[in-house]
Amino acid sequence: MNTSADFERRQRFERLVPALHAVLYRYAAWLCRDPGIAEVVVQESLLRAWKSFDSLREDDAAKQWLLTIVRRENARYFERKNPDMVDIDELSPSQAAMIADTGEPDVDEIREAIYELEDDYREPLVLQVLMGYSTREIADHMGIKPGAVLTRLHRARLKLKAVIDASGCRVAARDSG
Amino acid sequence: MNCDEYRAAIAGDPAESFPGGAEHSPGCEDCRGYREELRALDECIARALAIDVPELRMPELPAVQAGDNVVRIKAPWSRFKSPPLWAGVAAAVALVALLVTRGPGSDVESRQLAEQIMAHMDHEQASRQVTSVPVSAQALGAVVDPKVSTMDPDIGLITYAMSCVINGNTVPHLVIQGERGPVTLILLPDETIDKAIRLSGVNVQGVILPVGSGSIAVIGEREDQLEEIGEIGRRLSETVHWNI
Repeated sequence: MNTSADFERRQRFERLVPALHAVLYRYAAWLCRDPGIAEVVVQESLLRAWKSFDSLREDDAAKQWLLTIVRRENARYFERKNPDMVDIDELSPSQAAMIADTGEPDVDEIREAIYELEDDYREPLVLQVLMGYSTREIADHMGIKPGAVLTRLHRARLKLKAVIDASGCRVAARDSG
Repeated sequence: MNCDEYRAAIAGDPAESFPGGAEHSPGCEDCRGYREELRALDECIARALAIDVPELRMPELPAVQAGDNVVRIKAPWSRFKSPPLWAGVAAAVALVALLVTRGPGSDVESRQLAEQIMAHMDHEQASRQVTSVPVSAQALGAVVDPKVSTMDPDIGLITYAMSCVINGNTVPHLVIQGERGPVTLILLPDETIDKAIRLSGVNVQGVILPVGSGSIAVIGEREDQLEEIGEIGRRLSETVHWNI
């Protein structure tokens, strides 16, 4: 065992992970819609990442690499446990915490609507809006064609817009200049 | 690009990075208004997606050997002097004599259950980490569904909680830190057995105990854990309840 190499490996891992933890957790939480399960998924993902950490050559690629691991780990989790359909009126305390009131009615409305989106629509939206992924990057990450990504994003936004319009909440449009 | 095409594209990509977008919008006030409406919606979506993040719990990172395989970190119990061999043997014999009246081979269903658990243990080696980091109450709550089963969460330091499929049923798979190493607990509310089943294999030493209409598996890795496994099994049997 090369102690120096091990020390450097740990240092690198412990520097990268805290910087990306919020991104990983939020991605996991919106994938599985349960903060408790998200914590488990992230923990398992970090262990897996550590075991194959040497395969990550460039630190710049860490975010995409870790998000891919989280995606696989989430799928692995649900391979074991086939979740029931979630009725928004019968959420567990852990699930309900995801859509707890923020004090901003428009945000609450949107968050609940995102929670209810189909997985196929919610995931690309999270990757685009929260992670800043391009259409091509989302397509590569999800293993689908760019056209399919755009279609899903288009439908997701129309659904959310319809919820906002129906609720009477208004998101302020910026000056178009 | 006409207005319909622009609006379809902008809803998928409000940054307007698609071909033809930047050429269409300057000349169409309605579409510019639609674009800004979507961008405002996106700001709201971004705020909604930014849920609170719990404190990072960095997992215990095992050391890596000169090869590329992961090895166990030095176990905290290694500071204890090893008990004499006879103590382990005596404990094992006592546990088996006390709990087991039929081996897994004497009943097809019991044997299948034992084989599934042994296979699962082999598959889930990564769960048996030595760590002092507990799983969160939320994570534990997500795995031990109170509609199905309840147990005393103070059974020990629970460091792993996962829902796993054993014999076609999704069941809680937990790991607690015992005095001599990690101990796996698997709650089996759907598995009725008449007698205890001894589990013994490579890195698997334990027992499946009947508890009411279900059963529990308590498993360590070495024979010198059997005494503690017996004690954990006894305590867990007293506190676990099936609610189905």
